[in-house]
Amino acid sequence: MTRGALVPSRFAPVLTSLAAIVAAMILGGVFLAMRGKDPLAAYGMLFSRGLGTSYGITETLIRMAPLLIVSAGLLISLRAGVWNIGIDGQLMVGALFAGVVASAVAGQIANPLMWLAAALAGMGGGLLWALVPAILRVRWGLNEIITTLMMNYVALNVTSWLVKGPVKDPNVVPPQTRLIPQEMRLPDIAGSGVHIGLLVGLVVVLLVSVLFRNTVVGFMLDILGRNRQAAIHAGMPVNRLTLVALLASGALAGLAGANDILGVKGLFQGNWNPGYGFAAFALVYLARLHSLWIIPFAYFLSFLAIGGEMMARPLGIPTYFVEMLEGLMLLCFAVATYFERIRSPFGRAEEIETGPATAGEPPGPLVGDPVFEPVARSAGGRP
Amino acid sequence: MNGSGVPLAAFVTAMLAAGLVAAVPLVLAALGEAVGEKSGLLNLGIEGMMLAGAFFGFLAAFQTGSAVLGVLGGIAAGAVLGLVFAALTVSLRVDQVLVGLAITIFGGGLTAFLYRDIFGGQNPSLNVDAPRIAIPLLSRIPVAGPAMFNQGVLFYLAFALVPAFAFVLARTRFGLQVRAVGEYPFAADAAGVDVTRTRYLAALIAGSMAGLAGAFLAVADLKIFQVGMTVGMGFIALALTMVGGWNPYRILLASVLFGLLRSLGNGLQILGIDVRTEFITMLPYIGIMIALAILAGRTSIPAALGIPYARGRR
Amino acid sequence: MANPHPPAPLSRRAGRGGNEEPIDRGPIIAMRDISKRFGPALANDHISLDLWPGEVHAVLGENGAGKTTLMNVLAGMYQPDAGTIRIAGEEVQIASPADALRRGIGTVYQHFTLVPNLSIVENVVLGDEGGFLPDLSAADAKLTAMLADFGLDVSPRTEIRNLALGQRQRVEIIKVLLRGSRVLVLDEPTSVLTPGEVTALLDLLRHLRDQGVAVVLITHKLGEALAVSDRVTILRNGRNVGEFGPDVMTGAAKESVRDRIVEQMFGATQPTETRHHGAQQSIDVSPGVAIKHPGHSEPAGEESRHSRTDAAFSRDSSFLGMTTSLRRSPSRAESGTTLLSLRGISTLGDRGAPALQDLSLDLHRGEVFGIAGVDGNGQKELGEVIAGQRAVSSGQIFLDGAEITNRGLGTATRLGIGYVTDDRLHEGSVAASSVTDNVALKAIGRQPFSNGFWLNRRAMDEEARRLIVEFGVKTPGPETAIGMLSGGNIQKLLLARELALAPKLLVCNKPTTGLDLRTARFVVQTLREQADAGKVVVLISSELDELMEISDRIGVMYNGQLVAVMPRGETDLETLGNLMLGGARRAFKVPA
Repeated sequence: MTRGALVPSRFAPVLTSLAAIVAAMILGGVFLAMRGKDPLAAYGMLFSRGLGTSYGITETLIRMAPLLIVSAGLLISLRAGVWNIGIDGQLMVGALFAGVVASAVAGQIANPLMWLAAALAGMGGGLLWALVPAILRVRWGLNEIITTLMMNYVALNVTSWLVKGPVKDPNVVPPQTRLIPQEMRLPDIAGSGVHIGLLVGLVVVLLVSVLFRNTVVGFMLDILGRNRQAAIHAGMPVNRLTLVALLASGALAGLAGANDILGVKGLFQGNWNPGYGFAAFALVYLARLHSLWIIPFAYFLSFLAIGGEMMARPLGIPTYFVEMLEGLMLLCFAVATYFERIRSPFGRAEEIETGPATAGEPPGPLVGDPVFEPVARSAGGRP
Repeated sequence: MNGSGVPLAAFVTAMLAAGLVAAVPLVLAALGEAVGEKSGLLNLGIEGMMLAGAFFGFLAAFQTGSAVLGVLGGIAAGAVLGLVFAALTVSLRVDQVLVGLAITIFGGGLTAFLYRDIFGGQNPSLNVDAPRIAIPLLSRIPVAGPAMFNQGVLFYLAFALVPAFAFVLARTRFGLQVRAVGEYPFAADAAGVDVTRTRYLAALIAGSMAGLAGAFLAVADLKIFQVGMTVGMGFIALALTMVGGWNPYRILLASVLFGLLRSLGNGLQILGIDVRTEFITMLPYIGIMIALAILAGRTSIPAALGIPYARGRR
Repeated sequence: MANPHPPAPLSRRAGRGGNEEPIDRGPIIAMRDISKRFGPALANDHISLDLWPGEVHAVLGENGAGKTTLMNVLAGMYQPDAGTIRIAGEEVQIASPADALRRGIGTVYQHFTLVPNLSIVENVVLGDEGGFLPDLSAADAKLTAMLADFGLDVSPRTEIRNLALGQRQRVEIIKVLLRGSRVLVLDEPTSVLTPGEVTALLDLLRHLRDQGVAVVLITHKLGEALAVSDRVTILRNGRNVGEFGPDVMTGAAKESVRDRIVEQMFGATQPTETRHHGAQQSIDVSPGVAIKHPGHSEPAGEESRHSRTDAAFSRDSSFLGMTTSLRRSPSRAESGTTLLSLRGISTLGDRGAPALQDLSLDLHRGEVFGIAGVDGNGQKELGEVIAGQRAVSSGQIFLDGAEITNRGLGTATRLGIGYVTDDRLHEGSVAASSVTDNVALKAIGRQPFSNGFWLNRRAMDEEARRLIVEFGVKTPGPETAIGMLSGGNIQKLLLARELALAPKLLVCNKPTTGLDLRTARFVVQTLREQADAGKVVVLISSELDELMEISDRIGVMYNGQLVAVMPRGETDLETLGNLMLGGARRAFKVPA
């Protein structure tokens, strides 16, 4: 039912998110005060440094790129009602693939071709990592929540092993791939310190927006996410759509990994795990599963992260404050959707439709909520 | 090398002990999760609850110097988050996966923030007593004895809780109500069971057990806190709950297997056998997926898992 | 909480001893002016109802008459918006199902409230207010005797999922009786039972009545109400429109009682003899035109109510132009050529049990083929098989002579087979999506809605607007989420969606359930028109009147098989009813 309440429509749903953000920041402020810190000074510095300094803005925009790409991918799977909690693993494998391919061909082919090759390798890596849960889901009905989670830990180990052995740069001691020289990485957008990965991120979001707004596949993914049974009834290829949703989301996670390798890091290090997954979850929900709203919310969350880093030292507030704030936002958001639901005419309509008609006639115990069905029906077992 | 002077028996004992100890937090958290899921609550917040248990357990023990108070503090922290989970998912009927992830993110951020804020750059370790209790006679059994019967209180407690949970779920009125509410809440409601109360209690138990699991890690086992120290153990417990088919004994079995596989990796390294540890460390995760695939269709998942209940509405 | 009325054990209750000696002087339950509103729909409109101990009280009414809502109020599932409930004279608030049970009101819901993965004894002790450890052994002992009494030869430790439906129902009754219920409410108890089980259940109800239990039988089946009840209350459109006490019910003239009840239920006498003449006889589809039997005394106020509804309905019928189109000769269908053939079809249901067994059927152009049957006898699966939504495990399907077996729903849709599901809220429509998107749902991959890749939003929007106007759908606009519309408007859209695809064959499963009369008439008329235009309409319905009205042939499903296929003119309601319950055709009179 929650999913129904999360359906994008114009501006109103975003107000719920904004309310949640404000509530979370107030709670966070109270929390700071309880720890003996000045919340006004903290938020003041957060905003002035994050928004008011060119360093803050540049860093925010750099940070935004992978977040945009990851979130766009996560949005595809969530809109289709598929829980991809394996973003982090997919991103790591994608980053490693990109790092290996890029350093292998760097200098031998033109830079743009190298970037393209690395991007494709990254997407391939992410896709590969999403393929396992996707097949388990479609073929055996295994709940993708558990399998994508498990694949994260497998990714951690596999990349760690690869980077220590087979693909390690033999010339250095730490486990890492060969460094891509600075001049071969993604160039900055003219006149700024922000590499062009940001543009890639914006384009990806726009493409996803077009996907859902203007294409048959996007339409079908939406229907699948909202009501699986209706998708079956309408003759849609439900299994193939599920596969597409998970794979697309994995491929974009991989692309985000490639973006960080090509734009920022230049190499893949063992145990590098930026943990965008959770941030992306918060982001996509705050954006109300609406593709274009990802952009401002990605900026906001990036700004929070960068601002949090910048205020940490002068005010003695650990950067983890931001992570806590993200959790609080999501919790407040959960509460806010409740109020939205009971106030919306749609919530009442639901009451009307299901009240008298099904009173005393609950679904049989084997019938799941269509939204949750993938989980309810297949967690650990086949329907 | 192989003949590095470590007697094989001692090695096996050490590995067995390490594996069993590694299984303890998993068993604890998974038992609680099993009760929650049996009542229809899929708690992805378990990771955050474990972290909260670890940190607040550590903090309480550090401040009071008492391991007991530390453990209680950990349980309380988990319980509070369990109640938050119940309030949002049962009363407000918000999506359980969303709320669970939110709690996990919040728990991670909160504990990391407080740890850094309170302890600064230091990483103190606890100076509390968590005595080993050697069980007479049994602890003298060669190889297995020292591993299984010379451990701390919580270690024994974890294993004792397995039959206790099995009994509660199978025989008590509460267990009956939990199973009914997770399978067919409308029927339970019509029979006069308070669905909301039952699910709150189940969430409370799930949270407390996750908190206890975290406290075990920080207070009893490692005696330190680290940012993100549970490294996904909560999610693993979640998976083990499903692998174990919500049956406490099978959950125990799955957890111990998992723990042993992990300690095997370390053990082989100690022995100097040249196997990449990564392969062994990832075995348990792959094992979980294979187990789930094999078990698919053979275990019956609580039918109302993940589905909010409101009287007179579907 | 203290039990205000500790129920007496069954054995101590006075025997019935005929009809003359009620146990209490007053009714055990007195409901007064109960009203319950769901949004714009007034499900219960000042209903008053008395329940007496030692009586079987049937509450009769069509789907949507308010029966289930009323009983849910009594069971504590709903709180009434207005009205009072007295138990043995004392006014009470029934706060919850648990509260109702404590007060001695036990309800057996249509969808059983037994937890399938618990044993019988666990289900029985589930709601007890007892200690931490339920005493299963003691409950076992009590249950074993009770199970035997109720003719159940199973151990109390049997899990519910291993019981047949009829057995589950008995366990359900035992469960509420063991909780000390003096009032036993059964909601449509026979809808899931085999004919043998129905007979046994009615015997059981008589037995309970004789032990002093107040039995409430909620049903829309007149036959069983007449067979077993001492008192009948008729609900219609949320109002109590009539009641017949024991004096009438146990009197001699059952047939006249039957006619009077039918009149109360439908507002018009629909004499079965009229229907027997099939299409020759004009069936007046407007219930408003009541043929009143002058001899009948009607409860006060009935007259005025009738005239109000009469006026409304006559407007409807003229608006819809019903009176001509539905009367046609049934012979045309037989002359139509075969469009679809099913040959030896078998398939499995959702739970993996056989749903259809070796079923064969030919459908002819220009006919409405009606399918009757008690729910769960394979009608839904048959509809899904024809529509391509359910794969068959054996057998063949031919469309115009070409085999289309198991080619899937997409193919079936392209070949011109349409399907309107019975679950319009959870399967037919996507509540959160707009009217436009729902209209385009089934043909989204084709022109004009898309070129296979890019959507044509304008074409979608135009089509939605066209259908809204053409079918008179009440909606703020095509962009409104379809879940905000009323059930009737959703149904119109789903029907419009299929018809817009210009199907050769249209399967409709219970298309009028829960609709207001005007919309229901519209739907039925539309289907008839489709057939008259040379298409095939398969109408699955639990409304026998509806089937009798527009079908050219009627097939009866029982246990996954078509047990009979009859031209409309050669059958009647009773025959259908008995066939649906697994009876043999020859045992009942077939009008010449």
